[in-house]
Amino acid sequence: MKPLNQVLLHPDNRVGVDFKRWQRHGGGQGLEVALLEEPESLIGMIRDAGLRGLGGSGFPTFRKWEFVAAERDTVEKYLICNGNEDEPGTFKDCILLEETPFQVIEGATIAALATGVSRVVFYINPDQEKSLDAMIRAVEEWESTDLYFAVSKKMKRPLSYLVKASAGHYIGGEETAAIESVEGKFPFPRGKPPFPARSGVHGYPTLINNIETLANVPHIICNGPTWFRELGLGEACGTKIYCLSGDVLYPGAYELPMGTPLVELIQTYGGGMLLGKGLKAVFTGGPSNTILTPQDLDVHLDFDSVQERRSSLGTGAMIVVSEGTGIVKRVTEYVDFFAASSCGQCPPCKTGTYYISMLLGKIDTGEGTQADLDSLVNLCRILPGAGRCHLLDGAVKVLESSLYHFMDEYRRSICN
Amino acid sequence: MAMQGIPYSEALRNYSVKTFREPAGEVQEPEQLLRSFHPDYYPGTTVTLRVGVNRGDACHHQLAEVLQADARIDEADLAGAAIRETDVLVIGGGGAGCAAALVAARAGARVILTTKLRLGDSNTVMAEGGIQASIEKDDTPQMHLDDTLRAGHYRSDRRLVARMVADGPDVIRWLIQQGMQFDLDKYGDILLRRAGGTSANRVAYYRDYTGLEMMRVLRESVTNSNIEVLDYSPAVELLSNEEGHCGGAVISSLKDYSYTLVKAKAVIVATGGIGRMHINGFPTSNHFGATGDGLVLAYRLGAGLRDLDSFQYHPSGLTWPQHLAGTLITEGVRSAGAYILNGQGERFVDELETRDLVSSAILRECAEGRGVEVGDDIRGVWLDTPGLELRNPGTLAARFPKLIQLGKRSGIDLYHQPLLIYPTLHYQNGGVVIDENGCSSVPRLYCVGEVSGGIHGKNRIMGNSLLEIISFGRRAGAHAAEKSHRRGHKKVSIEHVSNLRRELTLAEMPMEKQGPALFPECAKFENDSDYDGLRRNRKGRP
Repeated sequence: MKPLNQVLLHPDNRVGVDFKRWQRHGGGQGLEVALLEEPESLIGMIRDAGLRGLGGSGFPTFRKWEFVAAERDTVEKYLICNGNEDEPGTFKDCILLEETPFQVIEGATIAALATGVSRVVFYINPDQEKSLDAMIRAVEEWESTDLYFAVSKKMKRPLSYLVKASAGHYIGGEETAAIESVEGKFPFPRGKPPFPARSGVHGYPTLINNIETLANVPHIICNGPTWFRELGLGEACGTKIYCLSGDVLYPGAYELPMGTPLVELIQTYGGGMLLGKGLKAVFTGGPSNTILTPQDLDVHLDFDSVQERRSSLGTGAMIVVSEGTGIVKRVTEYVDFFAASSCGQCPPCKTGTYYISMLLGKIDTGEGTQADLDSLVNLCRILPGAGRCHLLDGAVKVLESSLYHFMDEYRRSICN
Repeated sequence: MAMQGIPYSEALRNYSVKTFREPAGEVQEPEQLLRSFHPDYYPGTTVTLRVGVNRGDACHHQLAEVLQADARIDEADLAGAAIRETDVLVIGGGGAGCAAALVAARAGARVILTTKLRLGDSNTVMAEGGIQASIEKDDTPQMHLDDTLRAGHYRSDRRLVARMVADGPDVIRWLIQQGMQFDLDKYGDILLRRAGGTSANRVAYYRDYTGLEMMRVLRESVTNSNIEVLDYSPAVELLSNEEGHCGGAVISSLKDYSYTLVKAKAVIVATGGIGRMHINGFPTSNHFGATGDGLVLAYRLGAGLRDLDSFQYHPSGLTWPQHLAGTLITEGVRSAGAYILNGQGERFVDELETRDLVSSAILRECAEGRGVEVGDDIRGVWLDTPGLELRNPGTLAARFPKLIQLGKRSGIDLYHQPLLIYPTLHYQNGGVVIDENGCSSVPRLYCVGEVSGGIHGKNRIMGNSLLEIISFGRRAGAHAAEKSHRRGHKKVSIEHVSNLRRELTLAEMPMEKQGPALFPECAKFENDSDYDGLRRNRKGRP
C-alpha cells in the first residue's frame, strides 16, 4: 500500500459538501458501528489506538474523553472542534473542513456519543471563508440525514451543532481562549484549573479536540485500534498530515504514516530543496518551536522522536529554510507575529514579546549592539512560564533555539 | 526584405514639384492592412507563456522573457535591510502615481511614493497632444465611449472605459484646481482639437507639451504635500503576506545599494510602459525608465495580465536625423491639418485614421518602395509641415513650440522642408487586469496608468492616456486610502518568489535572466564610478 494519503486525505474522502457521494465511498460506517457500542468501549478503542491530540499538544485523546465522560452531574456538555489554525505554516484543518466536512462531523458526533456531549461547536478561523461556508452547508445537510436521527434517538435528545467563526486571533486557538470566544467574549486565555473538562463553556464540562484528531476517530472505530496502530512507523500510531512549506520544490499537505523521517518528507514528497540549495533549518510545528538543523534530518516525525531532539512536532507544520536565508530576519518576523498576537492580559507576555521583537528588529536592521544581544539571552532565561498560556513560551523557544544554533549570525548582524 | 525606397534628394524633388495633394480615400480592408503590415502581426513575434497565471496566453517574446525571468533578489539579500511602514505605497513618479498619491494623502493615509529616477521622469511629460474629455456641448461621454471602443477594435473592458469617460469632465476640473493651464480661446473657453479616429473635437491641450504642464502641477502638489518621495529607488520585488495579498515592496536605492522593505496596507503600481524594451527593434518615444517593471512585479505576485501581444506604434516618430530617432511628433500636427506624404509626394492614408492604421499604411509605403530612403536602412515618409503653414499661417509658432524646437535640434527648417517620420513604439495597450478602482486580481495591489490593461483594447486613441492616468490614479488613491484602516499584515515576505522559482524549475525554463529590467539594454554604467550602486544592482549581489 502506498504510504501517501491513505486515510484522512484519501481521494475517496475528498468529496466536499456531498453527503451521498461521501456515503457511497464508505462514509458514516464508523458512526454506525459507534451507535451499537457503549461509550466506555468507544473510549477504550481510542485508548488502544493510541490517538493523540494532533493540534500540537500530543496529549492522549482518550484521557480528555474520560474526564468529560466522567462528569455525569450536568445538564449540558460542550465539544469544541478546534479549527482556529492561525499559525504560520499550518494549513491542514482548512483542507479537512473544506474537502471532507462530513468526516469531521462524523468524528465529532462519535466523540459526542462517547462522552455524552450535547452541544457541538465547530470553531473555525474566519479568515478561512471557504471552510466556514463548507461546514455551514454540510451541517445543514447532515441534520436531515438518517444518521443524525439515529444519533439523537440513541442519546434521547437532539444533538445540537453550531458552526462558529472564531475570533480570528492566533491566541483564540488556545483551549481556554476558545471557550471564552464561544461564550462571545474576547479570547483571553483563562487560568487553569479549573480545567475545561470540569468547567468550560458557561461552566459546563467541555471537550476540546483539534479537527484532525476528530477526523481520525471514525476510521479507528470502523477499522479497529490495531489497524490504526499499524499505520504508524515504529512505536507511533496512525497517520499525520504534515504541512510542508518553504524552500522545497513541491510544498503542500501530505498525509503520511506518523513517524515518517524528515528527510523522506523533504526529499521524496517535497521533491528536494528548491534550486538545489542546501538545507539550513526547519521550523517545526509552526514557529513556536525549537528549530531543527541539517543534523536532525534523520529524525522520525512523531511526538516522542521529535521531543528527543529537544523540539516538538506541534501541528506538523514543517517550514523548510534553505541556505542563504537570514535566520535573524525569520525569527524577527515570527516574534513580531507573537508580539502582535499577544492578548495583553499577562504583563510579562505583553511587554516581553514586544521587547524581544524590538531588540530583534534592531539587530535585524543592523542597528543592534552586543548589549541588545545580551538582553535577548537574558530574556530567554527569565520570561518562560510567566504567562497564562504558552504564547510567551513559544516566542522564547524559537528565539532561544535560534540563538543556540545560529549565534554566529546574530553576532555578525550587530554593529561594532 | 523591403524594397529599396526613393532616395532622399529625389523624394524631396518629388515633394516640391507637386502643388495639389489629392486626399487619400478611406482605408480599404483595414483588417487586411493591419494583418499585413502592423508589427503586432509580424511572424514569430508572439510566444506562449509557460509560467504564471497567464500560462497558455500569447505574449510578445521580448516581454515573455522578462515575465518568465528569475527574481533579482532572494531572502539572503534582505538580511539587515531597513524596514519602513506606511498605509499606501505608490510605485512610480509619473502622472498616475502622483494623482493616486495626492488623493490618498488628502484622504488621510500615510503615503510613500517611490520612483526609479526622479519625480516626474515619466512618459507623462512626453505626452504632447492633450487629454480627452467630452466637455464640448455637442459632445457626450457616450460618444467618447463609442470612439474609444471602436478605436480599440472592441477589445476593451467596457466597464473601465465607461468609468473613464464619465470621469472626463471632472478630471479637467480637478487638473485646473491643481493649477494646470490649457490653451484657451479669446473668451476663456478651453480649446479642443480632434484626435485621429474620433467623432468630435475632444482633446484639451496646452501648446504641444500638455503632459509636461500636467506633470509640472502634479509635481508641485506632491512636493507641497506630506507625501514622502523616495527618488532613485526602484522597486525590485513586491512583498506578499500569508494569504498571498500584496503587503508592500522591496525598494532598492541606487545611491548606496541598500534594500528597504516598505510594508504597506495597499500598494499602487504606476510604473508605466515598456517602450525601452524596443519591441520588434523599433525606436521608441518612451522615456529612459520605461522598462515594464510593474508588469513583472505584478505578474509574479499572481496578478492576471491581458493583451500582451498588442502595442501601439505612433505614426509620427522622427526618423532622421538618426540621433533623434524615435522622438515623438504630436498627433496634434496632423489634427491641425498636416499631411503625410510618401516619397512620390502623394497622400496615401487619411491622416486622422486611428494610429494603428496610419502606422501600418506608413510601413506599407516603406515596404513597397514608396518610402524615402536616407541610407543605412533608414526610411520614412514626409510630414508636411510647410504645407500646414501654407494653409494655416502662424499655426506652427502658436501651437507647436516644441516641434519648432525639435526642428532646430534636427537642423531642419520646418517652414520649408518636411520632416521625415516613421512609426515609433509608443504605448503598451495591454497590461494588468484591473477593476474600476484600479484593483488587480491580487488583493491590496492596485495598478494604474500604462501598466494596467483593458481600457484601450487593441489600439489607443490620442489623449485617452492622460485621461486614464488621472481618472484611475484618483480612483485607486481614494480606494486604497479608504481601505488603509484595515488590519496590517501579520507577516510579509518574498515567499512568492519561491513559487516563481518552483514554477520555472518545473517548466524546465532557464533562469539566467533576472527581472525586472530596471534599465534599458543601452544603459551602460560599467565604467562610471558615479553609478557604483547601480552597477552592483544590475549584476545582482556584490
